[in-house]
Amino acid sequence: MKRIKLFLSGLILLGFMFQGCEKGFDDLNINKVDPISLDPQFVMNKAITDATYRDNFATLELLCYDFGIVQQIITPFGSSLSGGNYNIFNPSNTTPIWTTFYQSVVKQLVYVIDKTKADATKTNLYNESRIWKAYAFMILTDTYGDVPYTEAGKGFLEGISKPKYDKQELIYKDILKELDEASAALDATKNTSTSDILYGGNISKWKKLGYSLLLRAAMRLSKVDPATAASYVKKAVAGGLMQSNADNSIIRHTSLYQNWIAVHLTAREKANFYLAKPFVDFLKNNNDPRLGSIAYRHVGAKSGAEQAAPRTTTDPTVQLGMPMGYDDVSIKNTFATYGVASLYDYSQVNLNTILKTDAPEYHVTYAQTQLLLAEAMVRGWTTGDADVTYKAGITAHMQQMAEYDSKAAIAADKILTYVTANKLIAGKELEQINSQYWVASFINGSETWANFRRSGFPALIKNPYPGSEIKGNFINRMPYPDSETITNQENLKAAVANQGANDLNSRIWWDKP
Amino acid sequence: MKKQLLFLTFFTLICQFFVLAQTVSISGKVTGQNKDPLAGVNVQIADGNLGAITDGNGNYLIKALPNATLVFSYVGYLDKSVKLTGTKVLDVNLTVDPKSLQDVVVTALGIKKESKRLGYATATVNGDAMSTNRTANPMSTLQGKLAGVNISTMGTGPAGSTKIRIRGQSSFNSVNQPLIVINGVPMDNTTYGIGGGIGARSGQVNSTDGGDGFSSINPDDIESITVLKGATASALYGSRAKDGVVMVTTKKGSSKGIGVEYNANYTTDEALDYTDFQYEYGQGERGVRPTTAYPQSAVWSFGEKFQPGMTQVLFAGSIWPYEPVRNRYKQFYRTGTNLTNTVTLSNGNENGSFRLSMSNSDNQGILSNNQFNKKTINLGFNQNINKALTIQGNVNYSNEFNKNPPQVNTQDMAIPTVLYTLSNSMPFAAMEQNQLMPNGNEFVMSRFLVRNNPYYSLNQRFENVKRDRIVGNVSFRYQINSWLYAQGRLAQDYYSRYNDYNIPNGYAPIPAAPTGFINGSYTQDVRNFRERNYDFLIGATKKIRDFGVDMTVGGNQMYRKTEYNSVSVTDFVQPGLYTIMNGRAKDPLYGKTERSVNSIYGAADFSYRTFLFLNVTARNDWFSTLAPSARSILYPSVTGSFVFSEKVKLPSWINYGKFRAAYAEVGDDNVAPYSNALYFGVNNNLFPNPSGASVPVGGINTTLVPNPDLRPLRVAESEVGLELKMFKSRVGLDISYYYKITNDQILAAQISDASGFTNKLINIGQSMNQGLEMQLSLSPIRSKNFKWDINLNASYNTSKVLKLGSSPSDTVIVVGGGGGRTIKEVVGLPIGALYTYLYKRDAAGNQVFDKASGKPLRNDVPAYVGNVLPKYFGGITNTFTIYGVEVGTLIDFRLGAKMIAGSNMNALRHGLSKLTLPGRAEGYVIGKGVNPDGSVNTTKADLQPFYETPNVLGVNEDFVFNSGFWKLRQVSIGYDFTKYLSKIKFIKGIKANFVANNVLILKKWTDNMDPENISNISDNETGLDFWTALPPTRSVGFNLNIKF
Repeated sequence: MKRIKLFLSGLILLGFMFQGCEKGFDDLNINKVDPISLDPQFVMNKAITDATYRDNFATLELLCYDFGIVQQIITPFGSSLSGGNYNIFNPSNTTPIWTTFYQSVVKQLVYVIDKTKADATKTNLYNESRIWKAYAFMILTDTYGDVPYTEAGKGFLEGISKPKYDKQELIYKDILKELDEASAALDATKNTSTSDILYGGNISKWKKLGYSLLLRAAMRLSKVDPATAASYVKKAVAGGLMQSNADNSIIRHTSLYQNWIAVHLTAREKANFYLAKPFVDFLKNNNDPRLGSIAYRHVGAKSGAEQAAPRTTTDPTVQLGMPMGYDDVSIKNTFATYGVASLYDYSQVNLNTILKTDAPEYHVTYAQTQLLLAEAMVRGWTTGDADVTYKAGITAHMQQMAEYDSKAAIAADKILTYVTANKLIAGKELEQINSQYWVASFINGSETWANFRRSGFPALIKNPYPGSEIKGNFINRMPYPDSETITNQENLKAAVANQGANDLNSRIWWDKP
Repeated sequence: MKKQLLFLTFFTLICQFFVLAQTVSISGKVTGQNKDPLAGVNVQIADGNLGAITDGNGNYLIKALPNATLVFSYVGYLDKSVKLTGTKVLDVNLTVDPKSLQDVVVTALGIKKESKRLGYATATVNGDAMSTNRTANPMSTLQGKLAGVNISTMGTGPAGSTKIRIRGQSSFNSVNQPLIVINGVPMDNTTYGIGGGIGARSGQVNSTDGGDGFSSINPDDIESITVLKGATASALYGSRAKDGVVMVTTKKGSSKGIGVEYNANYTTDEALDYTDFQYEYGQGERGVRPTTAYPQSAVWSFGEKFQPGMTQVLFAGSIWPYEPVRNRYKQFYRTGTNLTNTVTLSNGNENGSFRLSMSNSDNQGILSNNQFNKKTINLGFNQNINKALTIQGNVNYSNEFNKNPPQVNTQDMAIPTVLYTLSNSMPFAAMEQNQLMPNGNEFVMSRFLVRNNPYYSLNQRFENVKRDRIVGNVSFRYQINSWLYAQGRLAQDYYSRYNDYNIPNGYAPIPAAPTGFINGSYTQDVRNFRERNYDFLIGATKKIRDFGVDMTVGGNQMYRKTEYNSVSVTDFVQPGLYTIMNGRAKDPLYGKTERSVNSIYGAADFSYRTFLFLNVTARNDWFSTLAPSARSILYPSVTGSFVFSEKVKLPSWINYGKFRAAYAEVGDDNVAPYSNALYFGVNNNLFPNPSGASVPVGGINTTLVPNPDLRPLRVAESEVGLELKMFKSRVGLDISYYYKITNDQILAAQISDASGFTNKLINIGQSMNQGLEMQLSLSPIRSKNFKWDINLNASYNTSKVLKLGSSPSDTVIVVGGGGGRTIKEVVGLPIGALYTYLYKRDAAGNQVFDKASGKPLRNDVPAYVGNVLPKYFGGITNTFTIYGVEVGTLIDFRLGAKMIAGSNMNALRHGLSKLTLPGRAEGYVIGKGVNPDGSVNTTKADLQPFYETPNVLGVNEDFVFNSGFWKLRQVSIGYDFTKYLSKIKFIKGIKANFVANNVLILKKWTDNMDPENISNISDNETGLDFWTALPPTRSVGFNLNIKF
């Protein structure tokens, strides 16, 4: 009897363990670790940091295409590194900008905009996020042409899994409108946040960024729609552009948030990428003091292992760019001509200065803005002394070198010597300005490539690599990722029908031949 | 059959010649059930060699000593011994062996039932078959032994995990592994690691197989494994059993007093090499061999043609012969060994019993730094407290230590990847001598920096996986009266899993550390897993005349919690010291998930006499992971069986016949907890704003679009089956046909990146699986000294995707893949459609080459090239007993599936494949075909880029292979020495077996690899391979079992 009682009490105990069939379920399915919402300012910060490429593989598009197309950095190696160096299609290197920007920048921005647009206390953040969205989409559309824009990033908010592609013309017109409106709407008397990663809540700087980006976007239309370009240049100038390097839009990398291009070049691709000859020659031929800040060479290195001190030198006079058009075997034919020991002997980007692992990365700079402004002056779209503006742009970029590392700093007298020697020459202004823009945008691959396509300068010669797959002299756009043919085929087809074949040749809307 | 009987009779007659003179003749008739005469019964004199066999009327005649003991044995009946007492006529009636004709099967919830009552198919393997010829993960041993069950082993080392598919793949996505149940209680079988699995921490170089849950079991403790295949069989387990149930019953103590048993198993593993590479052109790129110091071409064989006397310069400048290095696997991999010792102690009396086993298993992998040690203690007991109350329990403790599981399915420090792609003239001695630079950093040998010197990987990388686990349950059963009982059970599966691994100091592919630090990284993570199940069961049995009713009602509450604590550090203060404290940048992670399922269920079992049975079950589950409106689901099942051999007059050769039919529905929530909302993450580290203040960064932390409105998926399955035992039970046949529809699948469908996400959880889709399963057992020869048993199982499964998406235009869903190799679900095609790019061809079928470069072009969109799931699979077990020597062989097969053998793509792009030979002499290739303008292609393409192009473009056309095989999977030769031990009282039995596993591939269609040898463990991505797995091994050894 005793045991039966014992057992029965056990059964009753068991009964208590069943605490009703759904009791506690709702609480159980709440994540106790991750929040379901976050201050949109912090999310905005993520959208800004991630706009400098999310990991080292994502930088392969820059390293293998953008830098190579504009002939600044080049690799002789093929296979997984092939791309702009051979003018061939390599689908794994044409997609990273698409995936990183949509997944880590656009997604976060769409959330920030959604959370702030109706919140009267967050109007400044709302307008900042519109400016940043314009920045992100310029990179996307400049790279691929027509891209999902109005429906992009809404996989969660609106359940859109297959966003339609918008024509670049519409995207640019909206970007111009957005930048104009958002910059104007920024108001220093309203709430700001010191948690703002870019300007620490300084609205006046945000405004200058907005208008400087508006200038950039407007100038993009110089070939295809000069009238619109001119009208927005005027708005940008009237709104107020960046006034000094202190206004630059910068990601300040740290030892914990590293510069991914630098990480990739100091690690996996350490011995694989070199400064291209056209770039080094341009700097060298003009006695450009920036060469000493940007380049180093391991004189006589016969292998990657020998790329180390004491061979290392930053002496501008011995810098030697790798000639365009060779692979890792045919490059042998250049050794005698240039007196190098091996391909490892050519100049590389200095990983102790401009690309050290915590080197800052620039989105929009005062230097670029001055150069674009100078061009606008030359074109008569705004008033001012183009030569002074041009020199201010060069000066600003040279001064910017000190921000990478004190070893890269350029003395004021050297700057003065250079700008004195390089003034605008009538009839050659556009080439001069845009060649300087090419230098001033070094490492900002997307911008360098876009401005090269827009302006046609510097006057680069076609990469003579014999296995080229392209029809013209240069790669004009990146093809859409293979994943889009799988997940978004109908919309992709419409975009291809509008824009032309999904290859490296089709020109994007603003890039009129 | 008749012929054999004749032969047997003849055989018996011969034996009679040797009968000695002083014997007497004994004759009689042997009858069985219902007093039917039994033909072919073995009549044997105990302790003697003589024997006889009954004729067609059950009569026998034998000569024996007047006081001899006759032993009558017959398949399906219990042996019967009769001592002669002077009679000359001895009629015997044999009793049916309840285990044989009316097998007792363990069904859902651990309820035992006579097999004839079952309306669905099950399959059972007894423990001996698993312990004699064993594998480190006991699940792999079952390969080919069970109809309808397809088991794949990964090429990931001794502690690697297995993939089990029962009756095809029920859903496109999520997990399709069956539920593992030990002694009636679920056990976690989570698969850790590899390719984005649970073990991987993003950004870290860790791609090893962290193993699954089943490896915690010691095969010596297994009494039997029963697989419940259909939804009907598993309906009482509800959601978790949608893919069937693997029920493990562990051994119990017997009531026969003290018993001690010792089992030793020792096997050696030898790596098998199926590569057939070119050995004509050696290391180098673009036709040039390494001639200067520090070459970086170690994984390229696009060098020069081997000529006698040639040399090459490697590493810092040492000179080596330029000649083929063959048998690379044999040169690098060692012979692995596995030694398991198990001691078992059991005791019991009529009031209870216990069994305690302790086991130690040591596996030395074929990689010389890889070891897997497993210690288990298993205790099972039952005790009758009084006549009514019984307490039963079982506890299994295991301690597992997997040291340096091999890196696979990646490049970084993945030795299998490097050995597969390694240049064919790379001397192993050169690599062994040059692992580190003078400064202690890695000595790079390939411009693909992540193709590391295998000796470097072996000596510099480390990883430890340790797991302590206790799985156990206690149940109380109270027999209230003769027809009513109540039972309560508490069960828990708990483990803590420790994992740490490094990236070595000086590893070349990672950036240098800031000044004052040395680079490298170290990660340490600890997980805790707990699953608790409380359940109760009340059962009643009533019999009213010819009708019987069994009623069972019960309830279960499952609660599962996982916790994850991990810290990873980058760069170190002190070189060579891999600790968290020594690290510079620290990146901690913590995760916790909880889920619960509450259930109530009931079953009613009706019987009419002994031949008609009807079983009805219902279960309702409530899921914590789903929205309140969707979280409750009811699964009904109804099954029936009709033992027609007991009702209908059948031809005499049919001994037993049963027809069965079943229908059931099960469902599954199949989503991770917290899939209902969008969650955010805050970055571990703050970021400086312009004024230097540190500010937080955070954002949406998922690439998966959550869905708060998910419904459980539902599987509806019907099956019919027929069981026959014929020719005096020498032939047994069990056939099932099933038809299974899965609705409302929960998919993480790939969506456009432009949506901001990569995948979206949706509740869509309908798919169908149908198939036939057959299990055939034959005993063609059953004489005294020679027995031959055949057990054949074969399964046929086809599937079809019926619906996808919410609108008819949605016809495709991408499951996964990369590099031009994709698995999709496509309406109208079977589950698991393989897609890849094909070479571009013109209308006439000519291949099209780029005019400028001469390289092949690809089609714009990938094409369908086949399906990944096998249509046919099964196995044939032959057991021969010749004079007491038992010889067993298992041949298994898998047919009717395709795979993309991407590892061949690596052999191609690295110049190892024989496909790269054309054009070598000339140094260029002119592709046979046309240019896009239609003209004949005459462009000379550079050789190496030409052969690299398929990889660059994702054209895997050349490597779509039939993934089928026929394998001689197991061989064992055993002998029972017990009969020689009659004088040694304290030893009750000795049995020894020679065993061999993975003996031979009889047929395969894949080049350069074993089709099963895939390192991609992702649940859905079967049939895709790119980075080579650890090579398959052939193991040979012995098993020794001694009973005291």
